[in-house]
Amino acid sequence: MEILKCEGVRKVYGSGGNQVVALDGIDLSVNKGEFVAITGASGSGKSTLLHILGSVDKPTEGRVLIDGTDLSQLNQTQAAIFRRRKVGLVYQFYNLIPTLTVQKNILMPLALDKKKPNREFFEEVVGSLGISEKLEALPSQLSGGQQQRVAIARSLIYRPALLLADEPTGNLDQKNSGEIMDMLKLSNRSLDQTMILITHDEKVALEAERVITIEDGRIIRDERRR
Amino acid sequence: MWKEYSRDYIRNNRSSVLSVRVAALISALLLSLLCGSFYNMWKYEVERIELEEGAWQSRIVGELKPEEIEVIKNFANVKDVAVEEKTVDLYFDDYGAVFSDTPRIAEAVGVLPDKVIYNYELLAMYLIRGKGDTAPRLLFPMFLLILALASFSLIVMIHNSFAVSMNGRIHQFGIFQSIGATPKQIRICLLQEAAALCAVPVVLGNLLGIGGSMGLVALSNLLLGSDIPGRHQSVPGYHPLVLLLTLLITVLTIWISAWLPARKLSRLTPLEAIRTTEELALKRRRKSRMLAFLFGVEGELAGNALKAQGKALRTASLSLICSFMAFTVMQCFFALSGISTRETYFEKYQDAWDIMVTLKDTEIDGFEETEAVQSLPGVESAVVYQKVRAKGIVTEEEMSEEMKAFGGFSYASGNEAVRAADGWLVNVPILILDDNSFLAYCEQIGALPRLDGAVVINQIRDVTNPDFRHPQLMPYIKGEKGSRILQNSVSEEAIEIPVLSYTEKLPVLREEYATLDYYELVHFIPLSLWSEIKGQIGGTEEDTYIRVLGREYVTKEELQALQDEITELMGQSYTVECENRVQEYENNEKQILGFKLVLGGFCVLLAIIGIGNVFSNTLGFVRQRRREFARYLSVGLTPEGLRRMFCIEALVLAGRPVLITLPLAVLAVGYMLKLSYVDAGEFLAEAPLVPIVVFMLGILGSVALAYGLAWRGVRKISLGEVLRDDTMM
Repeated sequence: MEILKCEGVRKVYGSGGNQVVALDGIDLSVNKGEFVAITGASGSGKSTLLHILGSVDKPTEGRVLIDGTDLSQLNQTQAAIFRRRKVGLVYQFYNLIPTLTVQKNILMPLALDKKKPNREFFEEVVGSLGISEKLEALPSQLSGGQQQRVAIARSLIYRPALLLADEPTGNLDQKNSGEIMDMLKLSNRSLDQTMILITHDEKVALEAERVITIEDGRIIRDERRR
Repeated sequence: MWKEYSRDYIRNNRSSVLSVRVAALISALLLSLLCGSFYNMWKYEVERIELEEGAWQSRIVGELKPEEIEVIKNFANVKDVAVEEKTVDLYFDDYGAVFSDTPRIAEAVGVLPDKVIYNYELLAMYLIRGKGDTAPRLLFPMFLLILALASFSLIVMIHNSFAVSMNGRIHQFGIFQSIGATPKQIRICLLQEAAALCAVPVVLGNLLGIGGSMGLVALSNLLLGSDIPGRHQSVPGYHPLVLLLTLLITVLTIWISAWLPARKLSRLTPLEAIRTTEELALKRRRKSRMLAFLFGVEGELAGNALKAQGKALRTASLSLICSFMAFTVMQCFFALSGISTRETYFEKYQDAWDIMVTLKDTEIDGFEETEAVQSLPGVESAVVYQKVRAKGIVTEEEMSEEMKAFGGFSYASGNEAVRAADGWLVNVPILILDDNSFLAYCEQIGALPRLDGAVVINQIRDVTNPDFRHPQLMPYIKGEKGSRILQNSVSEEAIEIPVLSYTEKLPVLREEYATLDYYELVHFIPLSLWSEIKGQIGGTEEDTYIRVLGREYVTKEELQALQDEITELMGQSYTVECENRVQEYENNEKQILGFKLVLGGFCVLLAIIGIGNVFSNTLGFVRQRRREFARYLSVGLTPEGLRRMFCIEALVLAGRPVLITLPLAVLAVGYMLKLSYVDAGEFLAEAPLVPIVVFMLGILGSVALAYGLAWRGVRKISLGEVLRDDTMM
């Protein structure tokens, strides 16, 4: 079942002589439950694609459909609600709110919707990510690996249709990188969570079942590994 | 978001939100002070009108029968009816119905509409205007204009405090947006924060403002009391509706101030917001040549840092510059005005009068107590006089050569001098002196003491020289004629009177001559002569004056006793207004002190807004600028160098108001000196340097303290920790 579809997505920054084409006619389809890695060199356009898929940016041309919703038709408020309910975002630098405890950071997407958390699911997520003991800590009191786990927990709490991770291991040591990848794989399998991972690390990309390579804003390779 | 985020943020960032609280407190205080003062001013005006005109709303002129009065009393909206000798005053329950009910009442009792008059001035104070009220009523429009200007100025000033507090967290709001917070949720969150931060300061500011407005009334009573003619003692008051209005305006002002940056922030895309690192950066390359030249690399770094903080420091700079400039110009203005008033008024009339008595609506020939006043113990001299306006002809031939030399009447405008068949028709102010005083004046100028002629002041200033302080005086006419023709100022009637003398010497009176109309030809005549010619001349002013001079070095108490004696002598026969020179001098001093206190208070409040902003900015340094400081340290800037950089920043921030103000103040003072013709040296000798320097040191000290406190936090920064820390990214 197709959960994501990109049709001729083009993104141009700047104007006139300063134009930079970040994405140039991306066509892409992802099915529910797939674990996709997007790789490419720095400046290839992979992060731009992720931002467009996460509805934090808009394409200059083309359409992006996630779970049947055309992202290019959404206004700012609709895009925010869409992000909250349908997409989970994980960044390289975690992007946790420094003044909130771990628990509040994780539950924030639900709080924005004035929804009460499903305690069982919450405990399952924090338990599987190994952060049950850190719920009352502030982000600054955690290690980088722990902060990234919190970010993953926050992205999963709403059971989004799509989880987008931008270099989630880019700021971690080897041990923590391995653990984070294991957790992402686990949630992909156990929760049937569709996952798109941006990385320039080939080893990390090989953990995914499908690897897409981008160069100069174009998909140059799309291979299924299993 | 309030429960999850804002509550903890406010609790844990007390210093960062301090400036918002201070700004809200000051806004509420100022607006409340303004509204409270306006209410008291309005109340005073209503009381004044009621004292002077009466508290009635409409009046029927004429006599009414008792049964007609009863008919009026039975009208539904009529609260009370007061019957005077030939008038019936009506008091209504609902002022709004006065203009519709009064004609109906008049009709019911058979009174013609032209016999009905309204207390327009009083009704206008309740915003009730009738068709016949053509006078401009500017109190409410002025208040609304001042209030709108105050609100606008406060929004300009305090919105930046909110912006600083909000912009410091753009990155965090970017994270919120990336996990699904809508722009509306961000906006509401920021406005909720503003409401929570401002609730207590608004209430406190309002209470302080109410107290302040009461204090101002008390202060005006203390300084002015009821010594000034026509002024009554005001009773401080307040009304719940004023509180409601003030709260509404304060909340609206603060809400707009918070909404502007909140709206801007909520409109950022998540990507823009999340990429904001809270670090200060220059948008384009700027050079700080002067600071680099004076202080080396630390100077250049400090200059760049100040430019990068431009927006955050805008309110602070603007408030400090405005407050210092306003204070300096105000002090200079009052110093200059003090010199001018002293020279043109108090010193000039020091020996001319001690007590001035105005006999309201009294003709000089009807006043019989002249000799009694003149013979009162303690009275050195007393002159009773009345002023008359007449006209006279000055012919070409009798004009003095000096006057002809500067152009004669060629500079006269309007009705100062009108060309007539046989010369120029000029204004002739006549001062009728009591006979004894006139004879004494004749002796003083060496003229024959007679009571059948006039003394003409033969003096005119060079009208081409506008320096009123040092006028160039010269003879007006040749002064050869033994008589002059005086003409009625309204009709064509004229009469010829003998001239006893032409002179430049004036009798000692508290009068100024030819100040507005330079071509006036002033005549002094005795009461005896006036009694004979008044039928032809007419044109007397309503009041008669008594100028009383006491003994030399008379005290305020002695003058007060003399004033009481004169008032007692006048009895019930005259309506008397008395002025006492010493008292007037003290009143003038008190009034100026009052103005200085109020205006100075506003300047201090303005400075507090600026200083509050500096504090809020510097207290946020540790978080906002620690990466910047760490980078400087990492490339080898010593902690001492960093401290130097801090000192330069503080110096620039506090010194800028002085540097900008001084040349402008010099220009303003130069202009005021030019207008007032006061010598620069004389002003410099009395220049208000002490208060200006104290104000300047206050600003310098406060900014230094703000930077000093910030330095304590910066000193603790761990270089390694900052460069390693990514939680804020």
